[in-house]
Amino acid sequence: MISPISSIGSIGAENRVAGAAGAGAAADADFGQVLADVAASTVNTLRAGEAAAISGISGNAPVQSVVQAVMSAEQALQTAIAVRDKLVSAYQEVSRMAI
Amino acid sequence: MIDPLRAATQIAGAGLEAQSTRLRVVSENLANAQSTAKIPGGDPYQRKMVTFQSEFDRLIGSSSVSVTSIGGDPTPFEVEYDPGNPAADADGNVKMPNVNLVIEMADMREASRSYEANLQMVKQVRSMTTMMLDLLRNG
Repeated sequence: MISPISSIGSIGAENRVAGAAGAGAAADADFGQVLADVAASTVNTLRAGEAAAISGISGNAPVQSVVQAVMSAEQALQTAIAVRDKLVSAYQEVSRMAI
Repeated sequence: MIDPLRAATQIAGAGLEAQSTRLRVVSENLANAQSTAKIPGGDPYQRKMVTFQSEFDRLIGSSSVSVTSIGGDPTPFEVEYDPGNPAADADGNVKMPNVNLVIEMADMREASRSYEANLQMVKQVRSMTTMMLDLLRNG
């Protein structure tokens, strides 16, 4: 957790999310990159949940798979929100630091 | 490698689906318990049976369940004397389906219990995941 926070400074500089070194290992990922990845994977899961719900309403999918997809979407969303809150609070913690 | 908890949910989902299929077949058998042949002397509805098998799911890296086949029950048909029935043969005998209501009820109950068990598994996984996430939220 320490090394991602150490790269927070790059956010203030400019929004170079997919920056030069950003393509490297996940451990070196940018703070913004991490947030973007989390958001993207969450959106994909939410889309799958929505599609399953729609086909379930029209009666084409079994109830179990609809429930499963929606639950998976809900879980992904909650995880993303929890991770976001944690990261944002860490960021604020750093920005409040007395210099 | 997928998250084991998510894999558990998916396996339980496969179990739910398998048991639903079983219940569907029980429903078919019950509904057709009196279905006779269309032609005189022909065979009536034959009881269907579901068989399951464990199936290795490459995506989640574990064994889940699937319906192997829905086959016919080879038990001989019961013969009733009913000359007025359109399906009766020359002697007035009608072949009745080999569906036993007691067996179907037992099968239905078993499907229902198994469904409940799989559902309980889904609930358990959900509560464990929520507990873990709460750690992130309040910790």
